[in-house]
Amino acid sequence: MLINRRHTLGLFGAAAGSLILPRHLMAQAPRRSITIAVQKITNNNTLDIWYEQSNVGERVFFPNLWEGLILRDWMGNQGPVPGLATEWTRLDDRTIELKLRQGVRFHNGDELTAEDVVFSFSDERLFAGTEPAGGKTLYAENFKPQNAKELPASVPGVARRLWPALRGVEAVDRYTVRFHNATPDITLEGRLYAFGSQIANRRAWDEAATYAEWANRPVSTGPYRVEEFRPDVSLTLVAFDDYWGGRPPLERIRFVEVPEVASRVNGLLSGEYDFACDLPPDQIATISDAPGLEVQSSTIWNHRVTVFNKQNEILADPLVRRAFTHSIDRQAIVDALWGGQTDIPAGLQFDSFRTSNMFVEGWAAPDYNPELARDLLKQAGYNGDPIPYRLLNNYYTNQTPTAQVLVEMWKQVGLNVEIEMKENWGQIHDPEGTRGVFDWSASNNINDPVTPLVVQFGPNGEAQQKRNYWNDEMNELSAVMETSMDAAARQKAHARMLEICEREDPAYTVLHQNAVFTGMKSELNWKAAPAFAMDFRAANWTV
Amino acid sequence: MFPFILAKIARAALTIVLVMTFAFVVLRMSGDPAQVLLGPDAPQDAVDAFRERWGLNDPIWQQYLAYLEQILTFDFGVSMRDQSPALDLVLERIPATLAITIPALILKIGIGIPAGVYAALHRESVADRGVIMLSIFGFTIPSFVLGLVLVLIFAVTLGWLPSGGQDTWQHAILPIATLSIGGIGILARFSRSAMIEVLGQPYIRTAMAKGLPWRDVVWKHALPNAVIPIITLIGFMVGALIAGAVVVESIFSWPGVGRLIVVSVANRDLAVVQCLLLVIAASMVVANLCVDFAYGLLDPRLRQKRAAH
Repeated sequence: MLINRRHTLGLFGAAAGSLILPRHLMAQAPRRSITIAVQKITNNNTLDIWYEQSNVGERVFFPNLWEGLILRDWMGNQGPVPGLATEWTRLDDRTIELKLRQGVRFHNGDELTAEDVVFSFSDERLFAGTEPAGGKTLYAENFKPQNAKELPASVPGVARRLWPALRGVEAVDRYTVRFHNATPDITLEGRLYAFGSQIANRRAWDEAATYAEWANRPVSTGPYRVEEFRPDVSLTLVAFDDYWGGRPPLERIRFVEVPEVASRVNGLLSGEYDFACDLPPDQIATISDAPGLEVQSSTIWNHRVTVFNKQNEILADPLVRRAFTHSIDRQAIVDALWGGQTDIPAGLQFDSFRTSNMFVEGWAAPDYNPELARDLLKQAGYNGDPIPYRLLNNYYTNQTPTAQVLVEMWKQVGLNVEIEMKENWGQIHDPEGTRGVFDWSASNNINDPVTPLVVQFGPNGEAQQKRNYWNDEMNELSAVMETSMDAAARQKAHARMLEICEREDPAYTVLHQNAVFTGMKSELNWKAAPAFAMDFRAANWTV
Repeated sequence: MFPFILAKIARAALTIVLVMTFAFVVLRMSGDPAQVLLGPDAPQDAVDAFRERWGLNDPIWQQYLAYLEQILTFDFGVSMRDQSPALDLVLERIPATLAITIPALILKIGIGIPAGVYAALHRESVADRGVIMLSIFGFTIPSFVLGLVLVLIFAVTLGWLPSGGQDTWQHAILPIATLSIGGIGILARFSRSAMIEVLGQPYIRTAMAKGLPWRDVVWKHALPNAVIPIITLIGFMVGALIAGAVVVESIFSWPGVGRLIVVSVANRDLAVVQCLLLVIAASMVVANLCVDFAYGLLDPRLRQKRAAH
């Protein structure tokens, strides 16, 4: 057979094709879809970051759906990394300028511009006319609702908690924005990657007829977009191939709501689910022992605490509260109820404080010292009167068994604590009747002790707002933490706040760090973050 | 007859109003929806704004009057969670629940009654003892245990059926089985005892004495008389079609009315809970009304008695 020019060209073509085509095919290879069984998809049936500020919300939002100008390093030290902004500069102690990443697309095809950022922090979207602390709102006149959209009543309050003094965002040019604060704030950068400060597309908001319609399918920039949301049933996210960070590794992520633990475990065992979340520690062995399955545990940035109510006549004496703190064998609780799978933190501190150099080295939770506790009660003249303990039934993992253990431990030193089972938070905080101790958790959101110490126990925090706690020095120090730009003064204030709230005039006592357990198929090369968030970007999915 | 129907309808309406009122008061006495929905970390400003928005600061009687006014205009309010109309949320879930409760009811009636009648006609036989044993098993085992056992067998061990969800028709099999097994047991026991009682009546002896074939004795004389207590029971089952699957829907992650009840009550989503209770009470009351009227159709003696009044 003669090989002519046409044959030769054909062979070259075939050879070239064999080199090029497989790569092309590899790039567009069919992707896997996964199903994740969770106890709850969202609490409030929306996908709005400002209305669904919950642990379960964090799981479905980050980092797959919503993105901010600065991103949290979910798989690393939780510190800040460039996101929709590539760089940021402090212009002064109240102003920060950010350069937007160019070429970023929203799920509806729009390019991200400064206008979307300005909108995302506007009166129309968030603040609803609430004025910033220490100043006046900027640019309010730029926002007139396009449709009759009623923000959920809680959104402005929640937004002002994270941005109490934000006057507004200025669009300097198409790709540059400036955040103007009314007061000096060292934590502005931290607030930019906290839960809520993510960027929404303005056009999608304008086009939605109602808030509910928008919040059911928000348009953001994440690697996955909302395909279908059936409240209380399922949420399906589908790959967004124009994602600025590259092609997402999964075709679809489907969160299904399976309220019963046994049903989630059974679904994982039968192979229907790829992941089963929110597992209690006692289910770890069942899954770990099953072939092809494993459990990933991660301590999250949330500490369980017992909170004291100073209005209680007995607890008004700090000696009694100190006795509470020294009569808890925290390690025994961790070993017995958590299988040793979580830690006892150094007071209300998080490792993330180290990234902002705010960690108080050498500080620890009160030591377990029943003798000291008895002595403190003797000094206080405590006569054994009952102290109520309003308790929810396992709102937190292991909450009820922990409470039972605590009551026994307190009993050992002579504290007479009586559990009162309650159904909801309204009943826990009901001002009627005598309050004593109750359970709470404290989260760190911005790598700075402002969260949770100031946000939860400071003058505007829930503990003081509900009259569980008050302390003048604590409130002065909170102001330092919120407004001072002097790092050394803030470090000193933080250390002193820990002394006050955990030793001298206890507001709470830390029990342990919270942890989450996720059952999954071992074949999936995926790692859990130290958070509720589940990272399904390419870097964390290498199958 | 007409006054009888009118009295029944008036009583049904009163029942619904009482249920509505009771639910309204109890829900508001047992927890602040603002605190429940916004969670333990919500800032006070947000809680206050929420209470203001939903009128929770008004006196309870004022809230109740506003609620009654709404209901009279067929406005059932909106969900405090996502601002969706409460009635839409409820109506959206009803088909999913009926998709498992109606087949389960058919199975209960189709298996339970024949099994009970057969056992009664073959009293003291092996079949009779078998039916008694299985029916006791059926109605004593709690549905949450039965459901999980069925999942363990058919989903986890054998891998024949899905363990939960609502994606395909196969997903409905285990919930329907779980719902129906208890009801089959109850109906079998009830039908058996009703038939046994009727078979001991003098008119059955008379029918047999006059030489009627056994089949005619059973079909024409025994069954029509035994059916009255069974109809009462079936009436309850029909009334529970909408709200009778709370546990099963939770076990099988079936997105029906039962799941909505659990979530809405837990969140104190007042408008949705009130709307749900209204629909459930109405369905129960209507089912009972139908049973009352059915008595008259099935039993000529009752019909005559009512006509006489």
